[in-house]
Amino acid sequence: MKFLRLVFKNVFRKKTRTLLTMGSIVLVLVLTVVLTSLLATLERENSEGKGGTRIFVQHASGLGYFLPLSHRQKIEPIPGVLAVTPEVWFGGTYIDQRPQNFFGQLSTDPETWKTIFDDFSIDPAQLTAWQSQRDSFIAGQQLIDRYHWKIGDRIQLTGSYIPLNLSLVLAGTYRGADESTIFFHNKYLENSWIARLGQTGTFVLRVTRPEDVGRVTEAIDAYFNNSSAPVKAMPEKQFQLQFVEMLGNVKLLIRSILLAVLFTVVLITANTMAMSARERVTEIAVIRALGFRPRDVLWLVLAESVTLALLGGVVGVLLSFPFTRLLVEALKRSPAAIFAYNFRVPVSSIATAFVAAVVIGTVSGFVPAIRAARLSVVTALRQVA
Amino acid sequence: MPLPVRYNWRNVFGRKISTGMTVAGIGLVVAVYLLVLSLAEGMRKTFEAPVSSRAIVALRVGAQSDAMSIMGLSEYEAVRTLPGIESDAAGRPLISPEIVVLIRVPRKDGRKTNIVVRGVVDEAFALRPALKIVTGRRFRPGTSEAIVSSRTRQRFVGMNLGETISSAGQRWTIVGVFEASNSPYDSEVWADLNNVQAQTHREGVLSVIRLRAADDAARGRMMTAIEGDQRIKLAAKTEKQYFADQSGAAKPIEFLAYLVGIIMAVGASFGAMNTMYAQVTARTREIATMRALGFSRGAVLASFVAESVALALLGGVIGAAAAALAIHTIWASPTGTQNFATFAEVLFNFALTPELVVRGLLFSVGIGLLGGFFPALRASRLQITGALRRA
Repeated sequence: MKFLRLVFKNVFRKKTRTLLTMGSIVLVLVLTVVLTSLLATLERENSEGKGGTRIFVQHASGLGYFLPLSHRQKIEPIPGVLAVTPEVWFGGTYIDQRPQNFFGQLSTDPETWKTIFDDFSIDPAQLTAWQSQRDSFIAGQQLIDRYHWKIGDRIQLTGSYIPLNLSLVLAGTYRGADESTIFFHNKYLENSWIARLGQTGTFVLRVTRPEDVGRVTEAIDAYFNNSSAPVKAMPEKQFQLQFVEMLGNVKLLIRSILLAVLFTVVLITANTMAMSARERVTEIAVIRALGFRPRDVLWLVLAESVTLALLGGVVGVLLSFPFTRLLVEALKRSPAAIFAYNFRVPVSSIATAFVAAVVIGTVSGFVPAIRAARLSVVTALRQVA
Repeated sequence: MPLPVRYNWRNVFGRKISTGMTVAGIGLVVAVYLLVLSLAEGMRKTFEAPVSSRAIVALRVGAQSDAMSIMGLSEYEAVRTLPGIESDAAGRPLISPEIVVLIRVPRKDGRKTNIVVRGVVDEAFALRPALKIVTGRRFRPGTSEAIVSSRTRQRFVGMNLGETISSAGQRWTIVGVFEASNSPYDSEVWADLNNVQAQTHREGVLSVIRLRAADDAARGRMMTAIEGDQRIKLAAKTEKQYFADQSGAAKPIEFLAYLVGIIMAVGASFGAMNTMYAQVTARTREIATMRALGFSRGAVLASFVAESVALALLGGVIGAAAAALAIHTIWASPTGTQNFATFAEVLFNFALTPELVVRGLLFSVGIGLLGGFFPALRASRLQITGALRRA
């Protein structure tokens, strides 16, 4: 520890070089934070374990198929089931077809909504208002912020596979793990083919205890196994994951980029460390001659590169906040807008960035440190640097 | 008089490790940039695959893709009787009623995802001359036989000739493999229209009508006629436009390429700057000597910038070669991503086009210029007398 001053002096001996190296570390760590946050967003890690008692039931062939509404009566009596509602993904167009204006539109049963989405919160008066008005809807806070809707505002949705145009009035705002969806009455779809055929897209239900989830999903799957519409019941997390899986190799892509980027910065930093160690050959020989052991020299050089990387880490993490904010703003106007609204920087991303900084410092300082430690004092002293 | 280029080359190759690391760093950045861009390019190419300019797609109003569209036989009858549809040699109108259903099947990596099963009649093939059977044969009408694209066969489990695709009660036996010149059809499974309707309990249900207009003038008239018909609620697009509207799937990946590319380019140029600054310091006396010999400040500046650009370009070439190698070895099989318009997976290959390679090289030149300029400026501004005197 007493050599900390020496380490710092060495770090800042060549200011331009240090700043440039730190600069590239900072840039890479900003990128690390952004990419790991993106991964977390894709994996929806922000749901933080809530909704652990919710089950989604879809057709065994996938979401492109519909289920008979009559399944509801068969699911309700299964022990442990608290409430069931059919839900239909409306998939309509709001304003225009640009992806920026894409959000979830689900029809549901407002009477059971609060029971099923027990981890979501809504003002009780607004909930009652929504329940009592057939053409009203509630929206997540994120959508309210995006479109500045006010209670009583009317919005128009143009149907796609359900050829129906909806005119909905805002009754309330909810908060919860996913705030980018609107919910409206199943009844409003009564005149569409899907309701006339007695069908729905999915069922959502809640069980009493998280331990019941496994048993109930198995019971539901088994019950409809030989019916004309076999189903797949799964916990909410798994239901959401299938959308991520549909993204294919994007996650792998991001991980590979991350690795390549970190490797690049190790190369750059290692080069810098090698340069500064080479320039100080005489100096190292002198302190060795003064009685420093090879091990001390190794630690000195290693400490220098770790300090450099950690300084870069702190600045990088600090800069990543305004940067991600800018990025999210840019994303909101891009076709990838869907990701922007759920984009958050989780603590794990920041931790990853710091770990990356330590790794960068250690790995890139290693070879120069060993070479410095193995220096032959006599030859090095003779050498004119 | 400019400094000889040989001076720079000798310097670049004179210090192997330091040069090697800088070059490798730049090479990696260029390789990553090119790989991500060629992924986006592959996707874009899929949606820009050549289609007839007279091909029209009629969908339910509001539907962004045929997977989201639904209609009945009455719509088909209404469109079929419109004038202006091209006829084939046998005099049959080139109009194809199609149903699109999604099935969930396992990929070779173990995950399950949605793919499109398209139920079609003979006219569907006449409308897509680019689609060719490469092995096996077409399915027979009225049977539960199917043909799969060769990309689908490579990416999913159990898609070989003679095997049966099964998904929740539906099953199709594969009798042929097709290729459709890298279009989105290359992500699909095709089977008989009636059979798909029957197996999915959707008798009389269609998703989309595709047709070819007799000429360009008829195309416009037909599209107006389809949209103007009050009996049916259909929207008409040219097939080209239809695919172009879905190509947004490539945008997020392109965005990622630019984001990573720009940040890493600046990072790599910082690295190059360090190397060049160290060079200027190490060659102080050399530079002063050259200046004393009569080489101008401009010549020294140009020489050092050139050296940095050469360094970066070397990295660029290595990076481009590495990207090409990766694409032809480990990433040779098709990859896929979600098409948000269909909720099914669209398959494509990495496409490292010559234009992209040029862009990658220019990108590395940019890194070299950025990294070389300030050190070169310092070199050109050295005080000759002071520098010569220094030991």
